[in-house]
Amino acid sequence: MMHTAPIIEFDRVSKVYPSGGGPVTALHDVTLSIAAGEFIALIGPSGCGKSTLMRLIGDLEQPSAGTVRVKAKTPEQARRDRDYGIVFQAPVLYEWRTVRKNVELPLEIMGRPAEQRRERAMSLLRMVGLGDFAQAYPHQLSGGMQQRAAIARALSFSPSILLMDEPFGALDEITRERMQVELLSIWAESEPRPTVIFVTHSIPEAVFLADRVVVMSPRPGRVQRIVTIDLPRPRVFETREAPRFFSLVTEVREALRAVDNGR
Amino acid sequence: MQATTVSRSVDVPARVSSWLRDVWPPLLTFVVVIALWEGAVRLFQIPLYLLPAPSQILETFLARPGYLLRIGLLTFTNALVGCAIGVTLGCLVAALCVRWRVVADGLVPLAVAASAVPIIALSPLMGIWLGSISPASKIAVVAVMTFFPTLVSVYSGLVSPRADALLLMRSYAAPQRVVFSHLRAPAALPFLFSALRVCATLSMIGAVVAEFFGGPQNALGVYIKTQAGILRTREAWAAILVACLYGLAFYVAVVLAERAAMPWKRGR
Repeated sequence: MMHTAPIIEFDRVSKVYPSGGGPVTALHDVTLSIAAGEFIALIGPSGCGKSTLMRLIGDLEQPSAGTVRVKAKTPEQARRDRDYGIVFQAPVLYEWRTVRKNVELPLEIMGRPAEQRRERAMSLLRMVGLGDFAQAYPHQLSGGMQQRAAIARALSFSPSILLMDEPFGALDEITRERMQVELLSIWAESEPRPTVIFVTHSIPEAVFLADRVVVMSPRPGRVQRIVTIDLPRPRVFETREAPRFFSLVTEVREALRAVDNGR
Repeated sequence: MQATTVSRSVDVPARVSSWLRDVWPPLLTFVVVIALWEGAVRLFQIPLYLLPAPSQILETFLARPGYLLRIGLLTFTNALVGCAIGVTLGCLVAALCVRWRVVADGLVPLAVAASAVPIIALSPLMGIWLGSISPASKIAVVAVMTFFPTLVSVYSGLVSPRADALLLMRSYAAPQRVVFSHLRAPAALPFLFSALRVCATLSMIGAVVAEFFGGPQNALGVYIKTQAGILRTREAWAAILVACLYGLAFYVAVVLAERAAMPWKRGR
């Protein structure tokens, strides 16, 4: 895929946390450029700073050094402009709201008219296969269904950037693979198509979803390698059985092993 | 939706039967206790001034139910007004504690301690400050009694949302008042109702006991104390029965309000 102007730029970014045993460097000197509409997977062992990287983009944390630019703005300005939709590992649905009301929440805060909110929420719920559960409460849904509702909520206001922090980490393997296919089709259907930053622990998941896999190494967190995934889209169930899929999985795995050996 | 529709229509008789299943064990226990009480009083010929039989208490109550319920209502009104003041202030101060955490750091540990203290001991002093006959002193006791548990409970409800839920609000660039109205307040609702359940019980106790230290002649606490003082235990017990009825009614009203206010908790 060819992309033009970068939507997210990291320029020699570091993040240091103060801690009891002295400062801990979560990210060290990261320079990275992400194009609009790209699907980026961040992968690496625990403590490699992949979640920190995502949180810096979303202005949920601030860098200790270097600059992050999002759509040529500061992350804070981008957040105020509502450029981000976020999906966490837990669905974080508000239990007192019906599924539809949960999806409407960002639109409600942004002051959109009720009729418009309702239509948007219903069309998204149908897109994620929850059309029949609009009036249900979150606790009546399975974990996978709750996470689909969370994705619909993140997409409700058509943000240009979708930040996903191990969104399928709590799901079983079968549900997880189905959700990956669904996420890609939702992403492809979304207009305009958002840039996705997807944090994961799973190598096949990263390869299946992403245009580029950013392999990170820990202590201090750095970008180790970037693997370009040239699998054709749309990616379907059979994609996982293609020889090219295996060779790319191997490539990412080797890069991660180099991380281990480098220590 | 199919699953929910089906469960809604089929479950009406099922819900009634499950309600019956829940209700009959305590009901049976209650009947057994009353029967044992009645039997023991008759069998051991316990003198009336020590312990009247349930049938005698009921008889005394039914002899003049209007009068007893009317003096009960006076006491109950004090309980209700005091509880409303205490709970409202508790909620307001809890909200202030969320806005200014410094206030919370100073106040909440004290409130936890105050919840464990027998506030009822303040009753005679409230009588000195606000007049021992006036309802103000009773209302004040109840207000103080219900304020602290409400503050503690509602505050912990307001700060209960997880970090992720707050970050989500941050990502929507939601102003503080929206975070409060759309996240903290609804999250605190179950905590408020559990405080209300406790306060419903506390406030009736507070109102009756406060009247032991003085009050108008036609108040429930004064009546119980006077009747017990001249060993008219049947009359005292009949008044206690009325206090129980009002307390129970208050509690049931809270439970019903809770069910109406939190539809998402139903059928869990």
